[in-house]
Amino acid sequence: MSNDEPKTDGGEPKTDGGGIVPQDDQAPTWSERKERTQGLARLTYEYFERSRREDEDLRRASDYVERDVLAFPTWPHEMIRNLAITSFFLGAMFFIAAAIPPHIPGPADPNSTPAVILPDWYLYWSFGLLKLTPINPELSLLGGQKLMSDRTYGVLANLVVVGVIAIVPFLNKGSARRPVEEPFWAAVGVGGVVFAFTIAVLAVQNLITDLLPMTSGELFILTFMLPFAFAFVAYSVLKTMREGYMFELNRRYYRLRPPK
Amino acid sequence: MSLERKDEHDHEGWMETKDLSPIEEVYLTTLIWLDKRLRIVDYLELLEDMYYKTNLQMPKSHTEQYNLDNKFWYWYPLYALGSFSTIAYVVASITGALLGFYYAPSTAAPSADAATSVAYSNVLFIMGDLNFGTFLRSLHRWSAQVMTAAVFLHMLRVYFTGAYKEPRELNWIIGIVLISLTMVFGYTGYLLPWSQLSYWAGQIGVEMALSIPLIGDWVAQLIFGGFTLGEATLQRMYILHVFLLPFVVTLVIAIHIGIVWMQGIAEPH
Repeated sequence: MSNDEPKTDGGEPKTDGGGIVPQDDQAPTWSERKERTQGLARLTYEYFERSRREDEDLRRASDYVERDVLAFPTWPHEMIRNLAITSFFLGAMFFIAAAIPPHIPGPADPNSTPAVILPDWYLYWSFGLLKLTPINPELSLLGGQKLMSDRTYGVLANLVVVGVIAIVPFLNKGSARRPVEEPFWAAVGVGGVVFAFTIAVLAVQNLITDLLPMTSGELFILTFMLPFAFAFVAYSVLKTMREGYMFELNRRYYRLRPPK
Repeated sequence: MSLERKDEHDHEGWMETKDLSPIEEVYLTTLIWLDKRLRIVDYLELLEDMYYKTNLQMPKSHTEQYNLDNKFWYWYPLYALGSFSTIAYVVASITGALLGFYYAPSTAAPSADAATSVAYSNVLFIMGDLNFGTFLRSLHRWSAQVMTAAVFLHMLRVYFTGAYKEPRELNWIIGIVLISLTMVFGYTGYLLPWSQLSYWAGQIGVEMALSIPLIGDWVAQLIFGGFTLGEATLQRMYILHVFLLPFVVTLVIAIHIGIVWMQGIAEPH
């Protein structure tokens, strides 16, 4: 932050949310308000000033460094807006819960296997990854044997997916934030989202092949081709939008935050 | 008059230089006494800060200041998803605690000629006979579903606005731990009614655990209490769902939100 920016707290550089300016010049600063107080509040203020100075002296003597964070404060902006929006959705949730009670299936019976075995919807992706049998490689070195069983392969696929998501911040660095700035990574994201859905559909392939005129082989190919198709479209669109968009962005953003 | 060198931060000496009334003196002595031991100045400053922030007009946020708000506000609900999943988690905890009063994790038959289990008949009791039982279970289930969906959308929002970048990599990884734990939470809860769907979902779980290389048998024993489903499985799922996971997940959520609080909200630019 440059030095000529307006300061809220008596010209002392603030490390929390630096660069935030008051709404207008009439609003008294916090330190002005505190200085006007009398009695015990005034004494508290004076003591706190001393105490803070003491802390500052100690801090200066040590090698403790305070960093400026490029963000805006969680309190109050974020929390107040969150509360407003969240309470609306919370109400909607109560309403849905009252309107649509859950269905109870029959009691557990180890002797009869149901036609369709499914976990809850949010685990379909994981369940779909167990059905990767066609792409479990057969090694000619082992005489056409598979290196690992299909199920082991599926469980490892789960770990690979989670692992890949986990290392994203270490692969994609830099200060760019918007999808238009990085069409490639946005496309990767779109592909990932579409894959989460197609792999979930693969988990219920029995149902799909009954409903739609499609063999399970075709469904399998679609599961992997659709994400690439969507990613490609996203990439082209964002790349096309980029020129016009970046002009605006560069003007007001890179002036503030130079790219590394 | 003492020859001892005056301490620069000698608060009592400072008090003597002021002409204080008895009330002021007692007040200040107490304040200093407490502050020396508990550093209440730090916490009072937080409170004071919040007081002034709520009583003033809100300072301009970054987006308002640089006139990006017109691009930003209609995305705002996506920025509330983290909050929303936390609130859904709170609702699930409260309803879950209430449901716990009426549920026992047992696969034993409730009576000599019954083909069901105590767990299943408890769920039937909650759904059928308990006052507000249907609503309670419905709310528990819906809040769990909503939490999972919100957490997933929250992850997408963070990805597409690049909010996982530089100082926030650690929080991204904690978030992945959290979404995984949320799903485990959901899975263990799915098994508790001991219905036909629960049983066979549990069967898949055991098979998945067994197919982990090297440690598969051990994992199946630890989590499912054996290689076939039974009383031990249900009890372990119960303990995971109502004892272990609540502590772990609450702690990790607190850390996750604490880091967001410290680092501030990453805005799109």
